[in-house]
Amino acid sequence: MSTEIQGSSLFAITDNVRRRNLAEKRFRAYGLSAIAVGIIALIVLLSSVLSNGSGAFMQTYVTLQVELPADKLDKQGNRNVEEMKSVSTFGYTPLIRAAVVARADQLGWGMPDGMTPKDMGAIISKEAAAQLRRFVLANPDVVGMTVTLEMLANGRVDGYMKGRVDREIAALDGNVSPQQLDLVDLLVEGGNLEKRFNFAFLTSPDASGQRPEAAGLGVAILGSLYMMMIVLVLALPIGVAASIYLEEFAPTNKWTDLIEVNISNLAAVPSIVFGILGLAIFINFGGMPQSAPIVGGLVLTLMTLPTIIIATRASLKSVPPSIRDAALGVGASKMQSVFHHVLPLAAPGILTGTIIGLAQALGETAPLLLIGMVAFVKEFPAAPPEGFFDPASALPVQVYNWTQRADAGFVERASGAIIVLLVFLIIMNAVAVMLRRRFERRW
Amino acid sequence: MNDMRIAERATHVSTRKISATGVQVHYGDTHAIKDVNVEIEDKTVTAFIGPSGCGKSTFLRCLNRMNDTIDICRVSGQILLDGEDIYDPKVDPVQLRAKVGMVFQKPNPFPKSIYDNVAYGPRIHGLAKNKADLDDIVEKSLRRAAIWDEVKDRLDAPGTGLSGGQQQRLCIARAVATQPEVLLMDEPCSALDPIATAQVEELIDDLRQKFSVVIVTHSMQQAARVSQKTAFFHLGNLVEFGETGQIFTNPIDPRTESYITGRIG
Repeated sequence: MSTEIQGSSLFAITDNVRRRNLAEKRFRAYGLSAIAVGIIALIVLLSSVLSNGSGAFMQTYVTLQVELPADKLDKQGNRNVEEMKSVSTFGYTPLIRAAVVARADQLGWGMPDGMTPKDMGAIISKEAAAQLRRFVLANPDVVGMTVTLEMLANGRVDGYMKGRVDREIAALDGNVSPQQLDLVDLLVEGGNLEKRFNFAFLTSPDASGQRPEAAGLGVAILGSLYMMMIVLVLALPIGVAASIYLEEFAPTNKWTDLIEVNISNLAAVPSIVFGILGLAIFINFGGMPQSAPIVGGLVLTLMTLPTIIIATRASLKSVPPSIRDAALGVGASKMQSVFHHVLPLAAPGILTGTIIGLAQALGETAPLLLIGMVAFVKEFPAAPPEGFFDPASALPVQVYNWTQRADAGFVERASGAIIVLLVFLIIMNAVAVMLRRRFERRW
Repeated sequence: MNDMRIAERATHVSTRKISATGVQVHYGDTHAIKDVNVEIEDKTVTAFIGPSGCGKSTFLRCLNRMNDTIDICRVSGQILLDGEDIYDPKVDPVQLRAKVGMVFQKPNPFPKSIYDNVAYGPRIHGLAKNKADLDDIVEKSLRRAAIWDEVKDRLDAPGTGLSGGQQQRLCIARAVATQPEVLLMDEPCSALDPIATAQVEELIDDLRQKFSVVIVTHSMQQAARVSQKTAFFHLGNLVEFGETGQIFTNPIDPRTESYITGRIG
């Protein structure tokens, strides 16, 4: 174990050096394996979300000739929309059923034992009757004619088309039978049933628990957008003003120390606590409506503020003091030195911090549950500013909502919603990176 | 000291520009400047020399109240600029700094164009009535800082892209653009190579025609080359203040002699 340095050959590696080299190799191996674990976890997560959720972006549609008999839909025969409204969706269901039966007969369908026309009609979504009624009420002149209508297929049929449901499962499922799947195969051959890209997933509102095929993210996306607008408008100016004051103007004393500690603490407060705060203050005390983006936005603003303040203060701190000296040295006031020189240099950091704060707020679920944004909302909120007070949903809450529903179709929808949420987050982070690159300056 | 230019040392005008009496500076518990009395004359270069930490930069920063930006710094005593107390509560430090410009140790141009660097001061003080006026001020200031010929074709280029010596001359141009009466320089050549240093020193000598210049330097040769008056600081005390020639050839205080001969410092 001699480690004589003097007089030893450079080619003979000493024990000491060998041990150090080994330690370094070990450390590199640890680091690599840590990264590998992270990457594998990410791949597993993404692939499971993608494989579960990609189906939500395709939807099975059935195109059929539907007869619209005047004696059923417009008994008075005067095409008065108000009177036609007396026919409920139940009045339209038989028309759709008849259309399926008619097309099946055309294609040479032999009715198997134990199957009724009602079973045949059930391959179309329950949503279709409402859709047809809306269509007829909007165009009363079509009554008495035969129209070609594209309707959503039932969730189970959609699952069959996507490979989620097969005949073995169907035999055990009370909602779908193998015979119905035979009928589906027949309609596919006849060109009446096909899968297409599902724009409705992004634009239509949520649907009830029995109709996963009709459920969409429209209200949730709009609600999240409204909340982000509120957060941006409130949190950015308040956060930046607070940070500039604390960093550049405030004297260092025990009060500013206290504020600083509290801001750091606020950043670590669990988000559900902000939800309780929002419930107590904005809804119970302030009398604001439940489930409204305004309350969600205010709660998320409170949550985002510490993040923005910390990021802004860090980027203000990173501006070299020589720039402030230079500005003061030529006779600029404190405020001029901050607004003309320090703030532009800190802007990329501030923007990045803001966008990361917004991204955090976009993905936040817990506080929204407490202020009632978890409610089932089928109506779109109005345009801002009135819309800020209308009930709405939010993307992460919609995911939470859908994962709780029984129908297997909602698993797919929930994963699809996660994909949409992730895409928004990736876009926001990419914008943050781009802004930083674009405005980064050296000095 | 063979490069001392004795002939130029004669001061033509010796009106008093700044007079400091009994100046004390405390940084928290540290007594940084102890009872300093100095008279700075107009159209004269005054050098502050002394070992590191002796308070010469601190004292310099008192002259345009740059120490105000440091929370724990307290200044007492009296500093008069043209007979007016600059620490009077009625005085706005912003107005003072327009009159008493400053050049810092490290070149610190704004990360903006060369033009905007120089134009910033005149803009915020409203010295130019129009664009042509401003162009004129910028050109004059850059010429006075002896950098015009090097940058006249690229006034839109960033000031931070210049070499160290050019950056420092740009900072000097920026400081003179507000037409100050006194120019404070805090070791302006410490980050520069000998050639750039020579250029800046030549410039300081030119600037003396219009301004009163106060320069803090670590280099005794530099003090000897550029200044007419020299003040020697040691441990927060002003040890000796007088004609540069006298300080370097015939110092009265033994500490001054030890310092300039290299025994302390």
